[in-house]
Amino acid sequence: MAHFAKISENNKVLTVHVLDNLNMQNVNGVEDETVGQKYLEQHSNWPAEMWIQTSYNTFNSIHKLGGTPLRGNYAAIGYDWDETNQIFWPPKPSYPSWVKNILTATWESPIGPDPTITAEQQSQNTAATHFWKYSWNENDQTWNLTNYLA
Amino acid sequence: MQKKVLTEQSIYYGNVSMPKHWEIDQNELAHHILHSNLTNKKFKFSKTFDKLDSYIKEHINLKYNKSLVNKETWGNIYKPSEITIPLLNIDPVDLRNSPDFTLLYGVKVKDCFVRIHYEDNRRKGRSWDIELKDNMFIMFPSTNMYYLTSNQKDSLNFVQTITYEYI
Repeated sequence: MAHFAKISENNKVLTVHVLDNLNMQNVNGVEDETVGQKYLEQHSNWPAEMWIQTSYNTFNSIHKLGGTPLRGNYAAIGYDWDETNQIFWPPKPSYPSWVKNILTATWESPIGPDPTITAEQQSQNTAATHFWKYSWNENDQTWNLTNYLA
Repeated sequence: MQKKVLTEQSIYYGNVSMPKHWEIDQNELAHHILHSNLTNKKFKFSKTFDKLDSYIKEHINLKYNKSLVNKETWGNIYKPSEITIPLLNIDPVDLRNSPDFTLLYGVKVKDCFVRIHYEDNRRKGRSWDIELKDNMFIMFPSTNMYYLTSNQKDSLNFVQTITYEYI
């Protein structure tokens, strides 16, 4: 199965359609995105160039099954299509300071991703005595470690 | 002090801004409305209607997170200067099978106004007027009564109505 995102004129994902791989094969039997786009144009009433193939198994620029990631993230309704960087961006988190990381196709704080919790904190989380987690403090522009079971 | 909104009556309206060269073919829709009215048959499903319907459903879902499901559709032809009777698309004794929203789409309209009646607590009998133009849609709760008026004497008005329920 192949997946194609239908994008609006302002590059928002409107919906994602599933397409049988047979419907995107060219005359040589090779899968070709443009063939799928033409098929969708004909059958789903939307211009071919506004159907963009997306990978169900791609998340944060990593292919879950070890394959080649495609376009950063699997598209979903409301995501933004970034044609320049060939990435589907999820909506920006409610932190104005966060910026795009093009390598990982994620939104990140200006000081990078949240720090990793220590092995001790991890074992406490596993034992369910604590629930340590970093959360972003927009006012101080820092990551705060909080025990959510306290 | 806190506030909880229990219900709201929203009117969604705007133009159907299709991609260039993919605009809704208003002549085709008008033709289908005419055909369905003359033959007294159901409105014909077409690619053009599908374009319009998909545009509405997908954009309402994207912008307002409401998933719409089609109930009925039909087209009306209104005479010059015609004022319709008050219209209501729900069946008060069968609310279970009644639609949630009524959508009016201006197929070929001129000086056409829609008056939507609503109630604001004890302030009953209020109404809101909006002009329906070509390629414009107005969607409102089907529990609201409405009527259309035409303020010109030269042309027919073609209006497509689609009713939806939301899930």
